[in-house]
Amino acid sequence: MNASHNAALPALRVDRLYKRYGEFTAVDGISLEVARGDFFGFLGPNGAGKTTTINAIVGLATLTSGTIEIFGYDNVRDWRDARRRVGLAPQEYNFDRYLSIRDVLIYQAGYFGLRGPAVRARADGLLERFGLTSKAKDTFMRLSGGMKRRLSLARAMIHEPELLILDEPTAGVDVELRIELWELLRELNAAGTTIILTTHYLEEAESLCRNIAIVEGGRIAAMESTANLLARRDSTTLTVTVEKPIGVAPPALLALGVGYERGGRSMHFENVAPSHIARTLSELEAQGYVIANVDFRHSSLQDVFLDLVRH
Amino acid sequence: MDVWGFRNPVGLATLIKRELVRTYKVINQVVWPPVITTVLYVLVFGLGLGSRVANIGGVPYAAYLIPGLIMLQVIDQTYGESSSSVFQGRFMSSIQELLVAPLSAAELVTGFIVSSILRALAIALLILAVGFLMVHTLPENWALYFLMILLVAALFGGIGIIFGLLAEKFDHIAVFTTFVITPLVFVGGVFTSMQFLPPLVRRLSLFNPMFYMIDAFRYAFTGRSDVPLWVSVGIVSVLALLAVGTALRMTALGYKLRV
Repeated sequence: MNASHNAALPALRVDRLYKRYGEFTAVDGISLEVARGDFFGFLGPNGAGKTTTINAIVGLATLTSGTIEIFGYDNVRDWRDARRRVGLAPQEYNFDRYLSIRDVLIYQAGYFGLRGPAVRARADGLLERFGLTSKAKDTFMRLSGGMKRRLSLARAMIHEPELLILDEPTAGVDVELRIELWELLRELNAAGTTIILTTHYLEEAESLCRNIAIVEGGRIAAMESTANLLARRDSTTLTVTVEKPIGVAPPALLALGVGYERGGRSMHFENVAPSHIARTLSELEAQGYVIANVDFRHSSLQDVFLDLVRH
Repeated sequence: MDVWGFRNPVGLATLIKRELVRTYKVINQVVWPPVITTVLYVLVFGLGLGSRVANIGGVPYAAYLIPGLIMLQVIDQTYGESSSSVFQGRFMSSIQELLVAPLSAAELVTGFIVSSILRALAIALLILAVGFLMVHTLPENWALYFLMILLVAALFGGIGIIFGLLAEKFDHIAVFTTFVITPLVFVGGVFTSMQFLPPLVRRLSLFNPMFYMIDAFRYAFTGRSDVPLWVSVGIVSVLALLAVGTALRMTALGYKLRV
């Protein structure tokens, strides 16, 4: 039976993956599973082993031990079937400098065994979709940073992979383009493409990913749904900036759990229910403080991430 | 992993096409210089100094030079083709475009070797045309002419892949050309027959692989050789197999490719 058509098999299954370089262990027994159609975040600080894991998945790194299956195909034993199903947009630009950007797409399809009018039409369609048509005959060196990111994504998609792996796809692009790319990735995912994303922009992962793995020191520190991950630190913080430096907080504020630094101008109240915000602010005014600014926020993926990687 | 498999003909053809595009883009570095250099050698050594040199084995000196000059450029350019492509690909990371694709080690190595052979054939035919126009010489044995180009291009295409993988900087690629290829080719019989060398140098030449390449290739033009033809073809074939085999092994292991 064709493994790819067995819907029960996940898009990606990594089992006890180890990657060692001499004494250094870059990936220390990572196991993870990404369901078909998932939008999966693969997060971690620099040097945590994210890119090494991705390289092992796509065949750019050999495995020290462990197995990787892509839609049921072992990426060592059934490497051709596995590779055909994956598209990679790597962190570093690695385009062919001898080819025009249209040819970058057409040749990449060729390496995957595809050619003909359909491939050329798909290349033109992707250039159009990514706003690169006017640059079709230029080499990548003449593209702006944002255009290179878009070309990287277009190249990853040229052979219509079922699994798209994006290593820092929005690094160095402006806010407008980032939002455009987010929309595009959502569309692709909605159309059935499984997406694995690494990013340092945690709000990006929070906004896009349904499931997240956080790696630290080559190991999985946490892996669960984005909602569950956020619930780990279900807290709110009310931050009030006052006009004058704070001396000693009065007992009434201490009773509300205020946190502050003597001589500073910010007071923090943890886990204040929204319905109690007005009461807290009234108490501050009653104590003679003049309020300059108020900020209220829920804990974010960033807080969870920092909690995990600091431990 | 089926490193030997040839199951992606479109991928292989695309790689060869890409290499030809690369050659075309750097045509002023890799095609015209060998042709111009050959014209200068023929003018200065062949027609100039050569007019004062007696025929070698009944062949005018300028005509005697042509096969050696073709071999000199074939060796240089086939090594250059694969070594620079592999090293640049590693250096710029663009080789990753090939490494993530369903292309086997055999398909990758074949792609680079076939590209080297095609570049060699183009350069050899251009130089041959120059030789025909200037000194009216052509091969007598076309089959041997093409066989030797194929074997030597495969040998140096393979060595180019090996050095393209070993090199840590561009200098390392040039070191092999400067300190190994050029000296061995120059003393390997491009300019003179072994018969005219002192006995000690003649014996040393037998350890120079370039000597066998040039000797067998010249046989395709003159019908004469310093050592039996089968010895030269045999030695070059074994060396070509060793070089291609080593390049294949290194590529299959992902040496400095899949880190």
